[in-house]
Amino acid sequence: MKQSPQAPLLAALFLALALASTPAAAHTGSMQGGFVGGLAHPLFGLDHIIAMVAVGLWGAFLGPPAIWLLPVVFPLVMAAGGVVGILGVPLPGTEIGIALSAVVLGLMVMLAARPPLAVAAMLVGAFAVFHGYAHGAELPPGADAVTYCIAFVIATGLLHLAGVAFGLSARWPAGRFVVRAAGGAIALGGTAFLSLVG
Amino acid sequence: MSALVGGLLSPLLTPTHALALLALGLLIGQERASAPSIAAFIAGLTAGLVAIAWAVGETWAPDILLAAAAVSAGLIALAQPLPRIVPAGLAAVIGVALGLDSPPEVISVGAATAMLIGTGIGAGLAVALIAAGAQQLTRWWQRLGLRIVGSWIAASAVLVLALRYGHGLMF
Repeated sequence: MKQSPQAPLLAALFLALALASTPAAAHTGSMQGGFVGGLAHPLFGLDHIIAMVAVGLWGAFLGPPAIWLLPVVFPLVMAAGGVVGILGVPLPGTEIGIALSAVVLGLMVMLAARPPLAVAAMLVGAFAVFHGYAHGAELPPGADAVTYCIAFVIATGLLHLAGVAFGLSARWPAGRFVVRAAGGAIALGGTAFLSLVG
Repeated sequence: MSALVGGLLSPLLTPTHALALLALGLLIGQERASAPSIAAFIAGLTAGLVAIAWAVGETWAPDILLAAAAVSAGLIALAQPLPRIVPAGLAAVIGVALGLDSPPEVISVGAATAMLIGTGIGAGLAVALIAAGAQQLTRWWQRLGLRIVGSWIAASAVLVLALRYGHGLMF
């Protein structure tokens, strides 16, 4: 595949965002409303970022139809989790579920696991509930909340697509190694978050 | 800004309206059901705008608009061939709801009429252009992108609906 000239720039931007993030910062409960706030919300929580990228990576690793199915399933189920959060229904272990999502999805990529498509979709969907709940429980009140919702769904989807784009390099042996290594790094990161919230 | 231009831009600048128009346009384009669906949308929109011009009271229009947007976007994500009546029916519902949710924000009758006409033209053009654009998406990755965007719109619409319910904004 011919590498895009913008690829190094995008990679640097992504890395800068990741380094600027703090563990679980996406779920501290204090953020501004509106489109910019919604767009920034998933990008300023490293635990959220790595789990979203892992969804895309795993989808790309599994190939069609998982490459599109997982990024479609995630936001739909995430919305269901968001509804539960907005309605204030308690969901214990949300932060643990989010950290665990990075561990499990990272391991799936690292181990090149190829479960049946339905199992992969259910696994991703189960974790999406926790991510959606965290977002939904912390939505700011007021009119800006509409654009906030739209923006954070877009940001989440873009993180999936970033993972898919990176995961497509698994077509080549070297790329496959790098993608699996990235899966391992995500699992390690998830373990670190798990130790912080556990 | 003149009332007509204000009306033209209103559907594009109101997030819930823009979300519904995007979902409907993409569904019509994906299903290649332009003519009957756009005709149904225009008919519904006209009916809704006429009703709001007659100053009907508060309605369920915002909630119905979001629900119809969520259904339309969910159908985009599913990407299954649908009977023509489905996108046309959704188009009519979204048209009526959008019209009813567009009360003119001016006092004089002339300006209010111009604003409603502008809203009709703006919303109609937006749906037609989005549908035409979506019909051009024929490559496999473009069709997949459409499904992914559909899932984003559905998720956004469901969350906003829940938010309205949670904040007691539902009718």
